Amino acid sequence: MLVAKDIVKTFAGEAGNAPALRGVSLAVAAGEFVAVTGRSGSGKSTLLNILSSLLTPDAGQVLYDGRDLAAMSARERDKLRATDFSMVFQMHHLLPYLTAFENVLTPFLSSWRPVDAARKAFALECLERVGLADKAERLPGKLSGGEQQRVAIARALVTRPRALFADEPTGSLDGSTGRQIMDILSDLNKEGLTVVLVTHEPLYARMAGRLVEIADGRLAADNGTPAPAPSRTV
Amino acid sequence: MNILTIPLRNLRRKLARSLLTAVVFAVGVASVTALVELSKAVGESLESKLAAYGANILVSPKTETLSVGYGGMALGDVSVDIKYFKEDETLAAIAGIHHKDRLSAVAPKFVLLARVADTPVGVIGVDFEQERQIKSHWFTEAGTLSLDSFGLLAGSEAAARLGLAPGAVVPLEGRDFTVTGVLGPTGSEDDKLLFADLHALQAAAGKINRIHFVEVAALCAGCPIEEITAQIASSLPGADVKAMQQVVKSRMMTVDFVKHLAFAVSGVILLTACVMIGLSIFSSVNERKNEIGLLRALGFSKGSVFLLMHLEALLLGATAAVIGQAAGFAASGRLMALLDLGEQAAPTFDPLQFALVFVGVAALTSLASLPPALAASRIEPSQALVML
Repeated sequence: MLVAKDIVKTFAGEAGNAPALRGVSLAVAAGEFVAVTGRSGSGKSTLLNILSSLLTPDAGQVLYDGRDLAAMSARERDKLRATDFSMVFQMHHLLPYLTAFENVLTPFLSSWRPVDAARKAFALECLERVGLADKAERLPGKLSGGEQQRVAIARALVTRPRALFADEPTGSLDGSTGRQIMDILSDLNKEGLTVVLVTHEPLYARMAGRLVEIADGRLAADNGTPAPAPSRTV
Repeated sequence: MNILTIPLRNLRRKLARSLLTAVVFAVGVASVTALVELSKAVGESLESKLAAYGANILVSPKTETLSVGYGGMALGDVSVDIKYFKEDETLAAIAGIHHKDRLSAVAPKFVLLARVADTPVGVIGVDFEQERQIKSHWFTEAGTLSLDSFGLLAGSEAAARLGLAPGAVVPLEGRDFTVTGVLGPTGSEDDKLLFADLHALQAAAGKINRIHFVEVAALCAGCPIEEITAQIASSLPGADVKAMQQVVKSRMMTVDFVKHLAFAVSGVILLTACVMIGLSIFSSVNERKNEIGLLRALGFSKGSVFLLMHLEALLLGATAAVIGQAAGFAASGRLMALLDLGEQAAPTFDPLQFALVFVGVAALTSLASLPPALAASRIEPSQALVML
């Protein structure tokens, strides 16, 4: 479903250019649960952002169902993120002035057309799915950190995506709450959703079916498929 | 829930700041509304006051004159054909022009040359009510000024020359007219004339329904005198219609000055208000970069983000337009009372003007929010990622 080929990404910094990815190749099949691990600054979040079309690589290609993301127009990439891909961040980033229920419906608020009853019903289902149907009318400020993250997951599910990209979703949560979040992601994967998770927690990484390790901008290990030999060196 | 939800909720969340911005903008709109209303009222008040000092359009029958000379000596012009107007047709024609609402007085005149105690004198038949509209400076020593059917008002010089005082009886064309008052000196030709009721004088002279000329006072705030003159000329093909340009120009200059001043001040106020709205939205964009980045990550297009920021500004502008216009009307009413512009001076609610100001303010707000809304739409998800 998703194929990254020789991805190179460099960020300009005060101390000069800082290479984040130095030729990473990775294929993610539909329905996989891939955990990307690595030390802080290894480039794992950059890889996730490139796979999810939020960032464009300096070199290399990301193919989604055979289509090069870089060749798509900005509008097509926006549409892709609105329909096929979903994001969950370390910080939940809920809109503080909308209720949990309204936050779940945020992806549909870019149109003049009012959100229809079917979408509203599904938003409630998504909240139920993460165990928060009874707190649908609460503002984010009235929810705990774990609950807020679960609302963010419900928001990621409401568009019925094919792939969910989660960047350290448990990073700001305590152990038991983090475990709840991982259980939800695991269950969603079992129901067929492709999940790409970035985490530095070995315990959570092991819950994924496939473990990929990034070190110093390169693919260091991949227990699903052998790490391909780097075809380019930066 | 639709695209309006986010801007509305965000404005509500920051209610104090939203209200403050709207109020400041509303003050701008209120100032503009008040100034416009006031300039209209001042203009009309000046016009009506100025109109009281005389007519500005003269309507007379076309006459053909013949220059006579003999043996190299000019003997002057001789009227070949003296014409009258029919009173009813003429007044109806003037009352039927497109700009009839701008006419403050239509004063027909019938002129009779008579002899009183063997002294020649001009007697003018007037519609007293209309005449008073353009001769508000007339006064009598007795204080009261009236003209009944067979009454006579004497100009100061004419009264002195003819030895007339109130109560004196003056025979004119076989009918007796009684002097009801002697006008105080005006410094005009009126001092040398006698004034009688139009219809009584016409009847005495056996010239029922005949008039010699008409003086018209037009209020020209917002209407070109040339148009009124042309309309009267078009309604009265046999008439010679002249605008007294000097009078008109000076009146228009006064009114125009007030208007230009009001519009200049309004422009400065509105410009300041626009800058404020722009800065407010810029500040909102800077504060909400994370939120904008998140929305972009959720699939909102650049256009949607642009629209969100734009709508926020428009909502502020629309609120300010409504509050501002209401406050402006109220303020202009108070100012008119303070400036003692007269009982008739009052702000008038015009739905079309309200709609135009509303649309205008919306357009200005829209314009002011363009740069920050564009800046917001250019935030790339990757930029926001650094912050997320």
